[in-house]
Amino acid sequence: MNKNEDNFETLKQLLKLKQHEVPPPGYFNNFSDQIVSRIRAGEGGGAQSLTERLESVAPWLVHFLQVFETKPGLIGAVATSLCLLLTLGVVVGERSDSASKTILPTAEFASAGTASASITGPPLVVAADSTGIVASTNPATSLQPVSTLFGLPNASLFQSASFVPASR
Amino acid sequence: MADPAPISSPDESASTLEGDLVKRARRGELAAYDELVKRYQERIYATIYHMTSNHEDANDLAQEAFIKAFQALKSFKGGSTFYTWLYRIAVNKTINFLKQRKNKHHLSLNDLDFNTEHNPDLVALISEKTPHRDAGLAELQKKLNESLLKLSEPHRMVVVLHDVQGVSHEEIAEIMACNIGTVRSRLFYARQQLQGHLAEYLQST
Repeated sequence: MNKNEDNFETLKQLLKLKQHEVPPPGYFNNFSDQIVSRIRAGEGGGAQSLTERLESVAPWLVHFLQVFETKPGLIGAVATSLCLLLTLGVVVGERSDSASKTILPTAEFASAGTASASITGPPLVVAADSTGIVASTNPATSLQPVSTLFGLPNASLFQSASFVPASR
Repeated sequence: MADPAPISSPDESASTLEGDLVKRARRGELAAYDELVKRYQERIYATIYHMTSNHEDANDLAQEAFIKAFQALKSFKGGSTFYTWLYRIAVNKTINFLKQRKNKHHLSLNDLDFNTEHNPDLVALISEKTPHRDAGLAELQKKLNESLLKLSEPHRMVVVLHDVQGVSHEEIAEIMACNIGTVRSRLFYARQQLQGHLAEYLQST
């Protein structure tokens, strides 16, 4: 450590060279005048960029974003957790979807002998026609085949096609 | 610019005067702002110049920083001193500029002043410690600037502010909106990197 410090001392001496780098003579004589004239010319009230506006309104957000710049690993961590959240959302969504499908037949058995319109409840069911198809606003239950009181469900949906010649 | 004045806290009367200048500038008095610019132009220019190693870029960025500070003066709440706030604007502007420019560095170095050749530390460094004894100050200057440009912007900024301009760790932490520990670790790492880049000029004979 001492050796490092010693080496740093030499480095610091070398860095002193930077202090001797000076702009051209007279450079600062008109520097402030140039700035004031640019402000007078209208740049003082000029439009600020999004970052600049954000910096004055919410500096904490700018600092938060700067953390990403200084620690690029964080970007990967945040992106990964976002992906995990998204995947979790999709999985949970699919599970609830399949759960609603399994609940539906159970409800059908439970309410056997009642009108088909009452199976899924009034808010979801818009109309039930003779074909046994329940039109609903819920995509999961919409167009689901339901049992009817008279024989097979949806029996009238599919009819075998037959052709009888007129000569017979 | 030979002996950079550290931006340590000014005395009370100067601070009051500065506060008065800031108030007047906030009301739109350009004469007051002109005075503020004159107070800090050399330090702000020097910081940006040492970061970019390019006089033209430093000139543009320093002017833009002062203009932006004037625009944002109404949002200056006085939570920090004016010079810290001004430095922060200049530092952010410079770092953003350097990130956009990526690695396309073009050196446009200022001349060394007359006192350089009479600085005993530097003379000793060249005549005694450099293996290439014929290495001139200009060559050393070029090598030093190239080595600085190899550092990342935050590391370079810490070295420039502390080792070149004499700004304290606390003030750098305030300017760069980070804690003192980060400043110290960045400084240590940056010095190590510079040591590696400048090994041939730093090793003893």
